[in-house]
Amino acid sequence: MRRVLPYLLTTVITLSYICPVEAQIAGDSYFQLEKDKKQIQINTLFKDNIGYLYAGTDNGLYKFDGEKYTRIDFTNTEFNDTVTAIYQDRKGLLWVGFNSGRIANVENNKLLYINPEEGTPQRKITAFLQDKEDNLWFSTQGEGIYCLKKNILYVIDVEDGLSDGSVNSMAITDNGYIIAGTDQGLNICSFKNGQKKISIIGPADGLPDYIVTAMVSAGNNMFWIGLQENGFCLFDFNSKKVLVPEVSKHWEHGQINSMLLAQNILWVATQGNGFYKYVLNGNVLEKAPDNIFDKTINSMIEDMQGNIWLSAHPYGLIRTHGESLKLTPIPSSPPFEHIHVVLGDKDGSTWISNKENELIKLTTKNNITKERKLKLAGVSEKTDITSLYQDVNGNIWVGLIGKGIYIVDPFTFKYRIFKENSLFINSTILSITGNKNNVYVSSLVGLMVIEITAENTDINTLCRFTNYDNVSTGTNYIYNIFKDSKDRIWFATDGNGLTMLKGNHFTYYNDREKIKDNRIYSVAEDRNGNIWFSTASAGIYKFDGKTFTNYGVNEGLSDLKLSVLKIDPSGNIIIVHKKGLDILDPVTGDISYVGGSQGISNINVEDLGAISTDTSGNIMVSTEKGILTYSFPEHSLQKPTALIESIKLFLTDLGNRTSNIFEHDENNFTFSYTGLYYSDPEKVYYRYTLEGFDNNWIYTTDRSKNFPKLGPGVYKFRIQASLNKNFSNASEDSYSFTIKQAVYKTWWFLLGCAVILISLIYLYVKHRERELKRFQTLKQEKIHFQFEMLRSQINPHFLFNSFNTLISTIEDEPHLAAEYAEQLSDFFRNIVNQRDKDAISLAEEIETLNSYAFLQKKRYGDSLRVEINISEEEKKKYKIPPLSLQLLMENAIKHNALSEVNPLIINISIADDAYLCIKNNINHKNKKQTGAGMGLQNIVTRYDLLTNKPVRILHDDHLFTVLLPLLK
Amino acid sequence: MSQNLFKLCFVFLVSFHGSVTAQNIYGTEDGSIQFHSDAPLELITAACKEMKGKVDLDKKIFAFSVKISAFTGFNSPLQREHFNENYMESTQYPYAFFSGKIIEDIDYSIDGTYTLRAKGKLSVHGVVRERIIKNEVVVKNGVISIRSKFTVFLADHDIAIPKIVYEKLASEINVEIKADLLKQ
Repeated sequence: MRRVLPYLLTTVITLSYICPVEAQIAGDSYFQLEKDKKQIQINTLFKDNIGYLYAGTDNGLYKFDGEKYTRIDFTNTEFNDTVTAIYQDRKGLLWVGFNSGRIANVENNKLLYINPEEGTPQRKITAFLQDKEDNLWFSTQGEGIYCLKKNILYVIDVEDGLSDGSVNSMAITDNGYIIAGTDQGLNICSFKNGQKKISIIGPADGLPDYIVTAMVSAGNNMFWIGLQENGFCLFDFNSKKVLVPEVSKHWEHGQINSMLLAQNILWVATQGNGFYKYVLNGNVLEKAPDNIFDKTINSMIEDMQGNIWLSAHPYGLIRTHGESLKLTPIPSSPPFEHIHVVLGDKDGSTWISNKENELIKLTTKNNITKERKLKLAGVSEKTDITSLYQDVNGNIWVGLIGKGIYIVDPFTFKYRIFKENSLFINSTILSITGNKNNVYVSSLVGLMVIEITAENTDINTLCRFTNYDNVSTGTNYIYNIFKDSKDRIWFATDGNGLTMLKGNHFTYYNDREKIKDNRIYSVAEDRNGNIWFSTASAGIYKFDGKTFTNYGVNEGLSDLKLSVLKIDPSGNIIIVHKKGLDILDPVTGDISYVGGSQGISNINVEDLGAISTDTSGNIMVSTEKGILTYSFPEHSLQKPTALIESIKLFLTDLGNRTSNIFEHDENNFTFSYTGLYYSDPEKVYYRYTLEGFDNNWIYTTDRSKNFPKLGPGVYKFRIQASLNKNFSNASEDSYSFTIKQAVYKTWWFLLGCAVILISLIYLYVKHRERELKRFQTLKQEKIHFQFEMLRSQINPHFLFNSFNTLISTIEDEPHLAAEYAEQLSDFFRNIVNQRDKDAISLAEEIETLNSYAFLQKKRYGDSLRVEINISEEEKKKYKIPPLSLQLLMENAIKHNALSEVNPLIINISIADDAYLCIKNNINHKNKKQTGAGMGLQNIVTRYDLLTNKPVRILHDDHLFTVLLPLLK
Repeated sequence: MSQNLFKLCFVFLVSFHGSVTAQNIYGTEDGSIQFHSDAPLELITAACKEMKGKVDLDKKIFAFSVKISAFTGFNSPLQREHFNENYMESTQYPYAFFSGKIIEDIDYSIDGTYTLRAKGKLSVHGVVRERIIKNEVVVKNGVISIRSKFTVFLADHDIAIPKIVYEKLASEINVEIKADLLKQ
């Protein structure tokens, strides 16, 4: 039970991790696309110039980053359409064709239908093309092909001579001819100077079928043609000849839906029969793996990492490893942990051992692996095979525990025990390696170098050998012997570091200060002559003859423990560990990784012999699922591509904003980024920095970062993606932007404010100065007036007259005398009380006037009449400078002759609600009074100081009118 | 969509009847169509001998239709009811159609056996799918006999199978057609 429990747990965890979206079958990964629990059908796949994958589906367009799908909506979110074709023109604009016949562009990550003046097709769009003149071509299922030439849409259809309106695929020749694959053969079209020309290649010209379903350029004006019924063929445009490969002559695999040319293979996707690999160099057709065999595959695409993606309904996208990973199943399926050795031989066969320590030769042909077993006499379950080696003559050397060495003929399976060196009979062999004509054997009894000649092709011919004793290498436990290009022999020892033999001289590299772990597992040499070796626990080392350079987790290794080194055909250092392979580029130091998500896991690294290279140098390892062969995919990018996917300002996409200058309050940025790595997106690490904000690199696995409240400044967001902690050669994307200073913090704004403030203070000071001056003048005027007034009031003439009048009154009408004296007293009191004030109420003024009029009337009797037409209300409402009326009456009396016949009539009324109108009739005295106008001038001056309204004086032959503005 | 197609086919069929000038029109009123569902627990077979169709040999176009409710031969009357009401919804979608064009060029004036492909739109249960169907054609004494076998995937035509009958109804239905076309 204790043994079972971890297994059970692992199973449960694994299941919960895998389901339901991603399920793995033999290294292929499934990525389903669901909507409302229903699988969405993927019709077409596309890779843009950055390397991003797109899926055209029954539910519109999706972007796919290797992990998840992101829908690209229409600008009008209510629209939906079935995508049937995707294309990117040379300017980078994405074109999307739909089942409805409509066409859209992707702008600002949104789909936007285009509406040509001529209308859009009504039938499914099947393909796009751009010719050298930048004209855009698209084909339809029923309406022929269209050409968008300088914004005018032209059509080439059955009426122009097209053999059929259903065009399923298109290709373009080097000289600009469009080849249309139709339901009635190939149509070669040209459209130059308004002339449409069409020639037809059909069954009569050797095409094996009427219906052309797919087409892909093979270069040199040659095209692979996929057919509905009869497989595929090669069309040579120059000679107009059709070549049918042997494997397609009796095609029984159904309709070809799609073709892809990648990794020297023509990948052929079929309707209901999975996909086939047509190896171009070998004229061999290989069947798809069993799990894909009966599927209908609509479309295929190769990603940047060399994986081949298939779309199959209802499975969604399926990732296969292309040619980089091949799994050789073992028919007898021996338990994985008992396979101690793996060897890829010169003929492409694989040799392994099983639990019983039988030797098994696996040969794969047409995707079927056959095995042949060899039971070596004397070998049992207990005498493990520790090493296999194929010598220069092709014979297989087998090293065993306690049973020495066997030599096996790979074809006849005849064998013999190596008995030449008696020391090695029944010895325990640790490692057998070799180089050209040498075979190196390390054992618990010492080392041996065997020389192989052509005579040794017969296994029974005895070999020459040289022994080295244990003392010379410092230990008798040697994992690996390696001879480099300078004929130096390197010994990887268990506990005594690296030992090098040159001529007869041994050099020991076991300084613990230089090499942290002296248990060396394997040694390899790169193209530049550097020696690389792996250690039991301290990662790997490079030795350039002088210094040792350590590569560990920080340099990008996935695992420090138990690793084996191999050099692949491209010169990469392949480091095999339990979880997968690290691929180190010795020139750049880049390390990429192939592991779990590619189906490699649980590699047997404990048995160093279980890691091998085949004759092409491809790495072979034994895994749970069989023998895995890995070859570094050509023309592929084994590192992630960093890409800023969206920039959001306050959680809203920047959209079509082109300026990267922002206002001071546009300061909340969210960057979403990805590191496109389709082989294993989860393995991608990121680091970012925002220059101008923080110059440190932040390491993360998050795919977005928010910067709230950025201050004004110049910034650059940089994002790098790597498969490990080593970012020295990582791909980078960046976005530079500027946040402007707030207006109220800019120098010109502050300067402006200062100028305005200073001006305001200046104006205020000026204004106040003027006010003070005016106040001063008013005060002076008042003093002057008071003086004038007092002077006029104590005018002796007036006083004498008043007194005389009083005396005569006392004599004639003594009962009125007291009243007269009272009025006189009132009058003088009013003058004294009111003289200091600027303005008094009209009522008070009229009271004073009445007192004065009373005094004057005593003197002049009926010759003087005063009429006041002012209501009590108005008297309270308005104000007037004191003694104005009295002064005017005094003036009137002074300047006119008063008589009973021509009395002086003074009329006071309010005019227009704004003026006090004082009128008197004119009755000139014979003798002109001097000093005229002094009193009047005084009134005018006082009014000037009090109000803007002027005092108006109207003067004609009969009436003298003064209009005094009323104050409120 | 299915309504439009129905009208279209109808017009197509009628226009064949009406046209006087057309020379090379062949047709049938009693073509036979048979299907069988080979599910683990039950084999269902039904047939209908009322398939109508026209072929214009000059224009290389054709149209066939069959009335869903005319199928007989089910294992039980209840099964037929289920077929019509639950799966095919024959009141809503009374006909199945196939119309389109003929790919291969054949000289029908010479007696012999030929294979040709018919590419067109197959409408079942109101869902239209583009299909290429391969036929064996025998021309003999002015009669064109066609035989064809093809598969209809229920999922393609939005025909949902209840879980309970999953073992009794195959997801792929094999269809076989036989018809003798006579000159009209």
